[in-house]
Amino acid sequence: MALSKYATEYDGIIKAIQMYIDAGREGKSEVMRPAFHPGASFFGYAGGNLAAGLPFLFDWIDKNGPAPDIQPRFVSVDILESIAVVRLEVDGWSGALSGSGARMSDIFTLLKTPEGWRIIQKAFHWHA
Amino acid sequence: MEDHPKSVSLARLNSTRAGGCDILAVSMGTRERKPPGETLESWKQIAAYLNRSERTVRRWEAVEGLPVHRREHQKQDTVLAYSHEIDDWSRRRTRKQLRPVQLAPEPESVRMTPVLSGSVGAKSPSGNGYLAEHDAITRTIDLYIAGGRAGQADLMRPAFHPEATIAGYCFGVEYSGSIEHLFRWINENGPAPNIEPRFARIEIFETIAIVHLEVQCWSGKLAGRNARISEVFTLLNRDGEWLITQKTFHWHES
Repeated sequence: MALSKYATEYDGIIKAIQMYIDAGREGKSEVMRPAFHPGASFFGYAGGNLAAGLPFLFDWIDKNGPAPDIQPRFVSVDILESIAVVRLEVDGWSGALSGSGARMSDIFTLLKTPEGWRIIQKAFHWHA
Repeated sequence: MEDHPKSVSLARLNSTRAGGCDILAVSMGTRERKPPGETLESWKQIAAYLNRSERTVRRWEAVEGLPVHRREHQKQDTVLAYSHEIDDWSRRRTRKQLRPVQLAPEPESVRMTPVLSGSVGAKSPSGNGYLAEHDAITRTIDLYIAGGRAGQADLMRPAFHPEATIAGYCFGVEYSGSIEHLFRWINENGPAPNIEPRFARIEIFETIAIVHLEVQCWSGKLAGRNARISEVFTLLNRDGEWLITQKTFHWHES
């Protein structure tokens, strides 16, 4: 029983992150919006400048447009009952803003809400 | 130089609480009656005297008993310190080697160095970029712990990014939003002198980092007794300084 509960939680977390990946691939923020908690935050440096705030992320995804060749890898998925941390590496970003072949290291923190797992923060490091 | 009878030696409380000994407190009391040397009237002056950042000297007061006094009659913290007390503290600290890791010279130079530059100043405690970053992160988390232990949010405030957030559940109620929620909780909860923090994980990815901290034995007005919290912090390196951008937590209900 414990195993099946773990797998359920794990899959719920992956599902939320997959929405982020799909949105990035399509260049459509609307695809990822439901995966984010309304109070979610966003932090990281892009080209030496601090980028912050969820609207920035959504706007960036839309303006960047499709990035059909992104290669995401789950590095770790850690579940601490009602919270979780996911480390994602994404290589092969492309698009109007990212340029080609860009790599991003992401840390997602998630909260287990009654509606399912929601991303409460995305922190990133952009490999210039 | 006039004496300040109204000043309160929080340092004395701290050094006792931090597992220090009564002898330390007594000797400090004796010295207060001596004619003081130079009087330092602000965190800025204290920091300049010790040639360290304000953040560092605040941390030393919180966790290592740096003798800083507060004037009782004013609402806002006005601090003062006496140079001779600080000199005595420095000597004791060096002699006793209370916390070997923190005895090493403060890596101020590292904080101004680009992340993972690979060559930090010769005075760096480690001479190694990774260790310097790792230690800077644990020092930031130590401020959080010191604030929780003392029940004083002001001690932990410098550890957080101004836009930091908190998220988690406490007895089934979602507790998310501005980090000010946490600061209010810490102040209302009051001292939790027996907390047992342990670093379960520290991972650094160039400009961002994750810390998983397990804390047992939280106590206080709001925490009750012997509470356990799993905490995940995300941090951002801002101009060489590691700041917490989020605290997520799971409150273990036993």
